[in-house]
Formats: sequence, structure tokens, C-alpha cells
Amino acid sequence: MADTVTFEDPHGIGAPITLDKATIPPDLPDADIRRDHIPQPDPYYVDLGMLYRLAALELVRERRFVGIPLHLALRGHMGTGKDHDLEQFAALLGLPYYRIPLTGEVRDITLIGSVKLHGDGKGGTESRWQDGDITRAIRGPSLVNLSELNAAGAETLFALHGLLDRHQALELQTGEMVRLRDDVRIFGTLNPTDLRDYAGTQTLNKAFADRWIIWEKEFPSEEELEAMIERRHPTLNREIVELVAKLAVEINESFVSGDSRTRVETPMSLRTVLDRIPAGLDMYSAAEDPLRRAWDEFVLPHIDPYDRDHYETVWAAVVRRGPAGSPYSK
Amino acid sequence: MRAHDETFLREVLPPEDRVIEAVVARYQRVAPAITRFARSISGNDELRVRLGSQASASKDEIVIDPGVFQAAYARSAPVTPTEVALTSALHEAIHLIATDFDEERPIPESWLAHQQSLEEDGAEPPPLAELTSYDWVEAEPGTDYGPDGELDEIYDVPEPVSGAVTVLDALHTVAGPAAEAMFLSIEDARQEARHLSHFPGARSVLSDLYRAAVPGASANARPLGQFALSCFLLVGDYFERDDLQRRVAPHVALALDDATPFLDLVPDLDDPWAVGGVALQLIEVARMHGLLTEGAAARSAVGRRGEMEADQMQIAEGVDAVRVVTPPLADRERYEETRQAAQTVSAEQGRQADVDQAGDPATDQLMKVSTAPTVYLPTGQAGKLVVGEFPVEFGRFAPQGREMLETAARKWGVAQRRVSGELYPLFLANQRRGLRTGFDAGDLSPYTPLLLGAGLYERMFERRDLPNRRSYGVSLLVDGSASMLQPRDIRSDRKRPWALAAATLGAWTLARLADELQIEFEVAIFNRGFVAAAGDTERSYTERRGLATGALRRTQGGAAERLTRTVNHYLVKSFPSRWRAAEDALAGLFWMASAPQEAAKEARKDPNAAPPISMFDKAANVDEFNLAHAAERLSARNVSHRMIVVLADGMTRGSVEALAETASSIERGGTMVLGIGIGDETVQAAYSRNQVVERPDALASAMVDGVRSALFRSIADEGGDTWWTHATEQIAQYTS
Repeated sequence: MADTVTFEDPHGIGAPITLDKATIPPDLPDADIRRDHIPQPDPYYVDLGMLYRLAALELVRERRFVGIPLHLALRGHMGTGKDHDLEQFAALLGLPYYRIPLTGEVRDITLIGSVKLHGDGKGGTESRWQDGDITRAIRGPSLVNLSELNAAGAETLFALHGLLDRHQALELQTGEMVRLRDDVRIFGTLNPTDLRDYAGTQTLNKAFADRWIIWEKEFPSEEELEAMIERRHPTLNREIVELVAKLAVEINESFVSGDSRTRVETPMSLRTVLDRIPAGLDMYSAAEDPLRRAWDEFVLPHIDPYDRDHYETVWAAVVRRGPAGSPYSK
Repeated sequence: MRAHDETFLREVLPPEDRVIEAVVARYQRVAPAITRFARSISGNDELRVRLGSQASASKDEIVIDPGVFQAAYARSAPVTPTEVALTSALHEAIHLIATDFDEERPIPESWLAHQQSLEEDGAEPPPLAELTSYDWVEAEPGTDYGPDGELDEIYDVPEPVSGAVTVLDALHTVAGPAAEAMFLSIEDARQEARHLSHFPGARSVLSDLYRAAVPGASANARPLGQFALSCFLLVGDYFERDDLQRRVAPHVALALDDATPFLDLVPDLDDPWAVGGVALQLIEVARMHGLLTEGAAARSAVGRRGEMEADQMQIAEGVDAVRVVTPPLADRERYEETRQAAQTVSAEQGRQADVDQAGDPATDQLMKVSTAPTVYLPTGQAGKLVVGEFPVEFGRFAPQGREMLETAARKWGVAQRRVSGELYPLFLANQRRGLRTGFDAGDLSPYTPLLLGAGLYERMFERRDLPNRRSYGVSLLVDGSASMLQPRDIRSDRKRPWALAAATLGAWTLARLADELQIEFEVAIFNRGFVAAAGDTERSYTERRGLATGALRRTQGGAAERLTRTVNHYLVKSFPSRWRAAEDALAGLFWMASAPQEAAKEARKDPNAAPPISMFDKAANVDEFNLAHAAERLSARNVSHRMIVVLADGMTRGSVEALAETASSIERGGTMVLGIGIGDETVQAAYSRNQVVERPDALASAMVDGVRSALFRSIADEGGDTWWTHATEQIAQYTS
């Protein structure tokens, strides 16, 4: 098995980047569990350039910035594939992947750990330290994805400041110092905080934000979407692929519109485009207009009532009538 | 996109779906997406798209004439009205954004040589292919050197090139109006092919509209018209050449073969001058195949001009029979009007409004009507009702109004303090705290000694009543037609305009009653006429009415009457608003109603400040629509007891049967409706609870007592056989 992996620039501009794959030290007490956390490469994943950028950052880190904290957060709207990018990066590098959602309920003790009571088997109890999610992840090689960074409360995030800045360590209540290993990478994802309805999100604390490199993850372009759909559903009728990609681009264009009078509040996520609509097409392949049925049953129910007219207008402008016949070739 | 309840245009489209307000209402559903599309196409996030009576296009604003949409609905094609709404609007937006023929350049050498060959016998024409090989290079800004060799200032206006003209002028000069018409046709198709390519759905609607029109248009067109139409359809990729050749005359079919190499170039062109070159080539192809008019008349200049105009007409008629004609590409005059309108629109009338707002009085009115709610009657009839706030400027007359209200209340015997009287302890407190008298258990009510003495109470301290969920809503509808301001008999020997004044006094008193009892209350004035806006003054109202009526008569003909004389429902005091906020307007209205001549004098003296007293128009109301709307508003309130008092002085313009049916269906829904007629007995036929009054004092007291009695009755119904229900004799009169 190759111990390096090469990342190609999908835009054909940059030179290929070769990185060493991660190795799991066999003496780690949780080596097996860790190996179990290495994700499988998604055969349908299409790199739109993000993996190459992540690899380029990794190269920079290895070359000149050893020991300097360069943690990266991907910011983008729902369904732009932020977490998928990080998962696939971990898969290609053979790094155990720990996705830790920072929901509003998460507290510092959940992330770092706490002392808990355990039965001693003799009717009594004893207190033992139990690692939290992050502590457990960083005790060995890993790619930690702190997803929904801006959903957690600021007081919870403050507990991570030491880990993310030059200190690069977690100080546990037991006195133990868990240092950031050089084979651990910390990433994050977050939704933009604007007027959109991302319940539970808030503006990122400035001090916390300052500990991250933040890259924007945009909605894919029409060509990119077509490539993704074709990779995932190679037998899907070409005309349908084009129409679905166009629909998604137009809806998402309306979603990011700065003018509240001309925008919709729900985008067409990659989950809608790559999973739900194709599933609807398959389910209603015998219908008179399978694309319309898939739209009715798998897309519109997600939409706020006041966005219906806008969605329907985009449908009429872009599709009007879907192609007849089976959406999938044999 | 076709919903189950939508018909194709080729089927019978109900007339109400074709009227301009329905067309505009349909546009408004697609307007946000259209604006977003237009912004993407133009690459300008600041672009505004709005409706207006004159199409225009400028850098940051395009104005679409809704009349263009309406024309599209006249087609017979397998498309739905919703699809037409989207496509016609997108089509207009695209053409308005993409059409700009203002750039001036020198006429190309090859065009001049072509012109010379047309004018001088024996002159060698240039090869047709050269007409599109145009070597104009626009000077790049910042690279020019001035006469003294220094770099021009960045903000310098470029020197006009001598002999430079617009492409339309150039085509007109070189080959006459026929070339101009041909250019506008193929440019139209080119723009559609280019910009609608990203919207295949909308393009397919356009294609269906065109394809449905082609058989008739092709059969009726003369040869040059057939040729131009075919060119239009080929450039737009709406038809296959073979298909078209089967539909046109044989010599036109041959001309199409020759035109094809030139037409094939058009979709890739993005310079109007290059498209102009193709237009010249096509005119030459038409000439070669004898499609142009070239008879004996061509020997004289006048005759030649006549022939060219005839050719232009043939081209325009042929193409216009199929395409959705957009103003900037209709003809040269319309193009110039479109460009001119964008520059000359005045700040006041062309205000920069919201994406879905109109900018001129006529379109403003159109938008108002199209966004007005449709009221459905139990008889199946439906109609638009324009609902708005009562003009606040009436508050200007409030000081005089308050004084006069006091005087009138004394004169007509209408109490103004503690209007609720005995209802207050029995009603309000009960509602508020669950006690009969409104005093907490343990408190000694000041009424108690009296009530004990009278034997009505058995003990000094009250018991707490069981909590109930009684709540009240009262809606008062007052006729606001001009007849309410007519002088009427006040005594045998004297006439005064008392109807609206007495109604306003009644409304004022009722409002106080409702305010004291803290029950939900609404006062609305209804009439028919040109609707006034909340901020209108006499001048702004009359000016807007004049402008809108004139413009709508011009653009909508007979429909203007319907659009300008609407059924209106002015909310003087709405349920959610505070009574204090409405007091001034109602007091001002009272003064105007009591002294209409003085009010008119005030309005003449200072029309910029006076309220719009002209809004009280002489037109019969359609009471049933207002009544149905008031009932709908009332039923939306979370109240257990609902009551509507309607006050009118004449027949409804609809039918008494429809009004009676509406009132009775509202009654069946649990709302009490009381009709009060002023010297008119229509109410007796329309309302089961009614009263006809002939005198101002009777009117005000009928309104107030009617509501009071109903409130008593409602408490009696829930409270059982209590002493005060027997004491109130009026109840029987209104609730039997």
C-alpha cells in the first residue's frame, strides 16, 4: 500500500502535491479504534479544488510552519460539502477522522473531559478521569473536525483557546498536559451568520475566530454540479443532469442574493441535488414527468411557503417540463 | 408547472383572468425571481425592475409596460397563464437590458460602397460577406494623447468621431427603413437565443407561443414578410429551415437557402453593428429573389421612399404577427421612446421604488387594484376591494371637529362621557376580572348599598363568578359616498347635510363605548371611486386621480373606469390600532361632514395641506363586498361575540339579494349584523336586524343603542335570567 498520496489541482494550474500518509503507532492503546475511524474514500466524491488547497496548506505547514498553529475552518452555507471535503481529506491521508459537532448543548467538560464516579465492584465507588471528545481524539493521529463552530457557546469555546493557540495543549483537571501531536490536524466548519435561518448559530467570538484560518466554501458552479451528478449517477439522462444542475445554480443564486426581496431562504443543497432528486427520479421513473414528481415530492416540501412562488418561477424558467421517459438508462 | 386548475391559453381563459389587474397580479408572483434573473443577466446587483406605463431602460432601472404582458395572453397556445407571466416578464427584461443601439460610429466603408451601388447604376457592389467584416476598433480609454502630446485626463469625454451615427441611422441611410426593420427582427431573435439559452423552460414557452402563431402568420404574410419571419425564427432557433420552407412561397424558400450562411453567423455575434451587416445581407438576398418592392415608382425619390416603407411594413407585419413585440425592438420610434423615457422621467413620478412598486400614477393604481384582496360573496360573485388607511390629513380639521362634536352631541342627545353607562360594571369588569361588578372579592362595591336597598343583592360581599371566555369585536361600516354629504331635512323647513355627520358622531360615540369597555373595535368608511392614499392631500389626490385616469384611459380604454372607480374600504380605526391614534381623523371627518362647504373652501385655499375631500365621490357603493370584507376581518379576531353595524343611505350598486344573502351568511356564521338606513328602506330588505332613521339624533342613538343592546343580550344569554336584562327594554328591538 502506497505511503504517499498525490493531490492534483482540478483546475490544472498548480503542480501536484504529494504528502505522506499517516501511520497509526501500533503501541497506541486505542490503535484499533483509531484505525476504525479512518474513513473510506468516497468513489463518487468530486474534488472541486478544496482537497488540493488543503494539501497545499499541509505542504506549507510541513515546509516552514512546523509547530505553528494553522487551524482551518471552512465557512459555507448548508449543503456545500464542507464536512465531506474534510472527511475525504482524512480518508486520502489515512487519518482517523473525528467529527465533533459543537451544538449549543456541548459544554467544555463534554469536549475536554471530567472526573466521573465508577463502581468498584465491591459496593463502593471511585472517581476516575474520563476523556472528553477532543481529548480522546488528539491522543493519537487524527483529523478533528469541530463542525458547527459557531453553534457552541463562547464559554465552551474559550476552553479550547489553549489548544488552538501557540500553547497547543489541553490542561486537564488531573494536571495532565495533553499536547497537540504533530500528526493531529484540527479543522472546523461553520455556517455564515447572517439573517438566514441557521437556528442556534451566532457570531463567532473574535478571539476564538482569530485562532483559525477561515476559507469560504461557495456553492458549486453548474459544471461542477454536473460533474458531481454524473460521477454519482452515471446512468442518469444527460438532459436531466443539466436541468438539475441549472435549477440548483439558479436557486442558490437567489439564496445568496443580497436583496431580501429577491431571495429565497432555502438553498438547494448537495444532498438535494445528489441524493434526494435522483432518488425521486428513480422512484417516479414511470411517471409522465419524473423530474417534476421528484421536484414536488423531494424538493418543495423543504421550502418555506413564502418561497414557493420563487421556486416555482425558477422551475418554470429553467425546466417547465422535464424530459419524458425513464431518467436512468439501463 | 401547469397546475390542475390552470387552463392553457388555447382553451377558454375566463375573462377575469385576462383583465389587466389579473395580469399584473400574476406578474407580482414572479416579480422577485424576474428581478433576480435580470440582475444576473445584467451583472448589476442594483438593477431595479418595476412596472410603468412607459417601457424604459437605464443603467440601474428597467420599467416594463404591463400592457405587453396582456398582449401575450391574447395568444392561443399550449401554455398556461402562469407560464406566460414568467416568460413575458423575462422576455421584456432581457430585451430592455440587452437593447442599446446608442453607440455612434462612422458608417463602415463596405456599407457606404453598398449604398453607392444601390444608388448609382453601374457601381460595383462589394461582396456581401464584407458587410459583416467590420474593422471598427473602439479607442481604449486612457491611451489617447491630446493635441499637445499629453495623456488625456481620465475624465475627459471622448472626442466625437466625425460622421459617427447610430447603427439605426446607418442602416436607414444605407438601405432604408426595410433594413432597419430587418435588423430589429433578427436582433430580437438574437437576444432571445443568447439570453434565454440559460432558461430553457422560459424559452420553450416562448417557442410554443411563436409556433402556435406561425401557421396563421405565414399564410397571411406577403413574401417579404414570410422571408423576414423565417429569418427571425431561424436566428432564434424556433424552427427548422426545412419546416419553414414548406410553409412559405417557393421563391421565399429559395431565398432562405441563400440567406442561411448569413443567418448562421448571427447567434455568435454580440455587436449590433455586425448584426446590422447581416440585416443588409438579408435585404440583398431578398432583393436578389425579387421579394422587395421595386416597381415603376422606384424611379422617383418619393416613389422609392414609398416602396421602402411598404417593404418595412411587410417585414414588421410578418414578424410582429408571431413575436411578442417588445417596445425597444418594435420600431425605431418605440426604441427612441424607450431610451428617452428613461432620461426624462421626472423625479416625482419616476421615483425609485421597490422592485414590485410602480412609479407613475397609472401603474400605481394598477398595482393597487391587482394587489387588492378579492372578496367572494355567498352568491358566487367575486370582486376586488381596495383596502387602505383613511387619509390622515383629516386630522388637520380635528380642532374644529372636536368642538363641533361636543355641540352636536349635546344637540342630538348623545352622551359623551361614561358612554358605556350601566354596561361598565356589568360588562367590562366581568370580562376583565371575572367579577360581576368589577370589584375584587372582599371589596365593598359602591353600588352595593343601592343594590342591597333595592333588594337586588342579598349580601354585601360578592362571590367570584366563574371565569368565562367572553370577548367582543365590533365593526362599524359607514357609507362614505357623496350622497351622505347631501343636505337632508333636519326640520320641516330646513335642510342640512347631517347624514355623514350623524354617522360620524355615532362612530365616535361607539368608539368611546368600545374603548371604555376595552372591546375590539374597527371603524371603516366605504365608497366607490378613485381610491385615496393614507398620505393624500387634496392636491395630491386630485392630481393623481387626473393623471392615473387619463393614462389608464389611454392604455386600457374601457377598462379604465373599472380600474379607477374601485370599491374602497378605508380603515379609520383598525382593530389593532389605538383609538387615540384615530381620534383626530374621525374628528376631522366629522367637521368636514358637518360643514362640507367650509371644508371645500379650506381645500381650495390650501390644497397642499387640506385632506382629500374630493374622495367622496358620487358613485353607488357595492355594500356587499365591504360587508363581506368587514366580516372576514372580524372573524380573524379572536373574539367570541362579533357584531357589525352597517350604515348606508341608499341602494347597493350590486343587488339587494346579494347583500341580503351576504348579511344572512354572516349571521349564520355567528356575527350579528345590524343595518341602519338613512331615509332609505333598502336595509329592511337586506338585513334581518334593521332600523330606518330620518333624523340625526335618531341615527346616532340607533347606532349606539343597537350595540349596547346587543352587548346586554350577549351577557344575558350567558348569565341567565338576571335583573338587568329585564330592565333593558331596547333589547327586544334589535335582537328579536
